Amino acid sequence: MSMALSLPALRRRFGVGDVACIGFLVVMVALIAFGTQIAPRDPLAFDPLHSLEAPSAAFPFGTDEFGRDLFSRIIAGTQPTLLVALAAAAVGVFLGTSTGLVAGYLGGAVDETVMRVMDTLMSFPGLILAMLVVVMLGPEPVNVVAAIGLVFWPRSARLVRSVVLDLATREFIDSARSRGESRLFILTRELLPNVLMIIVVDFSLRVTSAILLSASLAYLGIGVTPPTPAWGLMVRDGQQFIELAWWLPVFPSLAIAVVSVGTVLVGERLRRSIAMPGGDRAR
Amino acid sequence: MNAEPQAIDGDMAPPFSSEPTLEVIGVSITYGTVARGLKAVRDVSFRIAPGEAYGLIGESGSGKSSLAYAVLRHVPAGRVTGRIMLRGQDVMEMTPQMLAATRGRVVSMVYQDPMSALNPAIKVGEQIAEVIRRHRKADRATAWARAVTLLGQVQLPYPDEMAQRYPHQLSGGQQQRVVIAMGLACDPDLLVMDEPTTGLDVTTEAVILDLVNDLRRDLGIAVLFISHNMGVVAQVCDRVGVLYAGQLVEEGSTAQVLRAPRHPYTIGLMNALPTIDRAQARLADIPGRLPDLREVPAACIFMPRCTSARDSCGRAIPTLETVGPGHRTRCFEHDRIARTVAPTPDTLATAAEPDSRPLLQIIGVERSFGRPSRPKLPFLRQRRMVRAVNDVSLDIPQGRTLAVVGESGSGKSTLARCVAGLLQPDAGDILLDNAVIRPMVQDRARPVQRAIQFIFQNPDAALNPHWTVEDIVARPLKLHGIAHWSADLRARVRGLLDAVKLGERYLDRYPHQLSGGEKQRVSIARAFAAEPRLVICDEPTSALDISVQAAILNQLRDLQERLGTSYLFISHDLGVVRHIAHHVAIMRHGRIVEAGTPEEVFDAPQHPYTQALIAAIPTLERKPRRETTRTTA
Repeated sequence: MSMALSLPALRRRFGVGDVACIGFLVVMVALIAFGTQIAPRDPLAFDPLHSLEAPSAAFPFGTDEFGRDLFSRIIAGTQPTLLVALAAAAVGVFLGTSTGLVAGYLGGAVDETVMRVMDTLMSFPGLILAMLVVVMLGPEPVNVVAAIGLVFWPRSARLVRSVVLDLATREFIDSARSRGESRLFILTRELLPNVLMIIVVDFSLRVTSAILLSASLAYLGIGVTPPTPAWGLMVRDGQQFIELAWWLPVFPSLAIAVVSVGTVLVGERLRRSIAMPGGDRAR
Repeated sequence: MNAEPQAIDGDMAPPFSSEPTLEVIGVSITYGTVARGLKAVRDVSFRIAPGEAYGLIGESGSGKSSLAYAVLRHVPAGRVTGRIMLRGQDVMEMTPQMLAATRGRVVSMVYQDPMSALNPAIKVGEQIAEVIRRHRKADRATAWARAVTLLGQVQLPYPDEMAQRYPHQLSGGQQQRVVIAMGLACDPDLLVMDEPTTGLDVTTEAVILDLVNDLRRDLGIAVLFISHNMGVVAQVCDRVGVLYAGQLVEEGSTAQVLRAPRHPYTIGLMNALPTIDRAQARLADIPGRLPDLREVPAACIFMPRCTSARDSCGRAIPTLETVGPGHRTRCFEHDRIARTVAPTPDTLATAAEPDSRPLLQIIGVERSFGRPSRPKLPFLRQRRMVRAVNDVSLDIPQGRTLAVVGESGSGKSTLARCVAGLLQPDAGDILLDNAVIRPMVQDRARPVQRAIQFIFQNPDAALNPHWTVEDIVARPLKLHGIAHWSADLRARVRGLLDAVKLGERYLDRYPHQLSGGEKQRVSIARAFAAEPRLVICDEPTSALDISVQAAILNQLRDLQERLGTSYLFISHDLGVVRHIAHHVAIMRHGRIVEAGTPEEVFDAPQHPYTQALIAAIPTLERKPRRETTRTTA
């Protein structure tokens, strides 16, 4: 019995878009796993002779003030940047989904209590809340993940809850209740598959905003610390040289943009392959 | 108000004038691409004379709504070919300006769901006045005065006060009258009514049908009336056309088509219709399903489902052939075809058998909605308590069907949900085998949970869209430990699907791949998977077509006879109830007003409400005006 996840649309023919998406994911995984090895030069090695050199054949993206190769730094920076973003998005969406499912299905006092806590969390501006947590806990990557996850939690919870509120009134939920299913079964087997595609889209958007948020944290000097080649940190360090060396902030920014757009596109495609034609009205 | 209070003669031949109000000539509507497009309507022709009411009968997928929208040239997704002449002008060739002027002035539409046809944020008088201002260039005061007049014309009480109300302050019947008034605002020649009474209660429906007849007589307006309900069509229309799979299969006067149908599909529909006149042992359903309209064969489209089909039927598309004055049918075998009278009804064995001890007893169950009291503070609206179920006591005998009948808001569904344990009753007990069971289903013991199963009204919502049919039907088996090993499980699921006439190929399908009737069969299979002793059916066929309804009702009866299951059958349709019930309880405002065997209740109703309910059912004979059912909510 394979009812947790069913992808009927995956049986259709693979198109160019699918190949592109899979290609994107493979490249990303390779960069995360072997970034340091793939990079042509040592991302941390100083080379004072070549400081602030413009993009050339030897240094495709130019070099920074210490003569480090920007191209290698961006490749090697995929791992610290994306691992944090993916983990933070996963934490936030996981917490949000469980909270949203429970609050939306149980309703009443549980819903009221949980959602007021969520509202309180949401009333802090995201960046301030994340800063607060990182400053209190210290700038380890784990704490950055926790901080960003905390920021995402109420937002994901609201989204999932709103969908569950609609689903919970459908008769198949009544049917499950009337045959005596446990709450856990209804939450995980009846409701979860129906919110799955919303979660997927939410996750892909959250990854993007986690990259930006961790970059913002790095930019403010909390979170990841130099010399880690995180993209956000590189944008921060590079912007002071923007008049001398435009490539320093531009290429890391481009990397963030490419990954963000790619993630959203992959998420959208995945959503469409999970979507049940005619079955899901909530979008 | 009415010059001639007598009923319109159903058999009266409509006066034909030289120019018909609407003439539809060879219209086809295709959705999608030319090659693989869905040919929703194919080569339909009919005409409506001034002042005539023409009914289009069809089940879902017949293309009747597509045709209705085509008359207003509002088929954005489809391509329309053929000619649609409104008072001699081709709708398809009008400029946008002409079209805008035509809509409203020459033709206007009354939609099925009045709640969504009205803007909830605008007073109803203003909504009608807006139409008048738009088309007549009238000033505000004049338009408003005309709106009030129109509301009076559709027989709303206190029209000037009604005009000030918002849609949510009106009942469903009143809303539909406002929509009709809106349609009449600019004196159109033709009113297109798309299932105008489908969402309404039977007593409200009767009032609306009377209103339509009055308006036709007083204003001489032509009506294109679209419905799946033959009884409703019989009350209003002079002539009817029967649509099947996008083709007009039969056309004639209402009396000809409904009393002496000559097309096997029409005959099938008539035989599938449960009526309250007699209890039938089995309804005659139409086997099979609608053909795929992407690939239309050059043959009789009804042939695969036809009982009188011959080999020759598969060779060409039959033409509409005249079989009587103005009566045409699209059947090669029309000489052979005549409505065979439904098999003589077996008298139900209810009366003969002594009542066995009740399986389930409902004793003094009450349930209210709304909060009892709130502190009186400004801005805090006092919500009135509504007693949805008020001191209801009923017995459901072993292996029998108790039907609870009522209109919307009567509390019948609330009662069903209380019995199922989905709602907590405020008072009262529910006894299974003379033992009180817990009110909420999650607190009940496993055997009790297993004993009571539920079949829901809406087949689209009752099945989890992410589960396959096999998962859905197998779940109760696993939950109640009826089958564990996968081989055994699969065999049992197959057996259950077999019992509801679904084959093995349905195992891997998802609900969206099924038709409404198939979904409801899966629901039934799921309910019976638990081997229940009582199945609560909450309007199980109200969302289905007549021919499918007949099959589902037969199914339920067969299962009951074989397994001895009891039913608590909730319905608003007295014909359906007459067919399936051994005991009937009529419910109104949360109370049982009358109860007894179907013979007692239908043949000699005692309570005035029951009498009004039975009188209001649209039958195939046109009824005289029903002054008694005129109620203003």
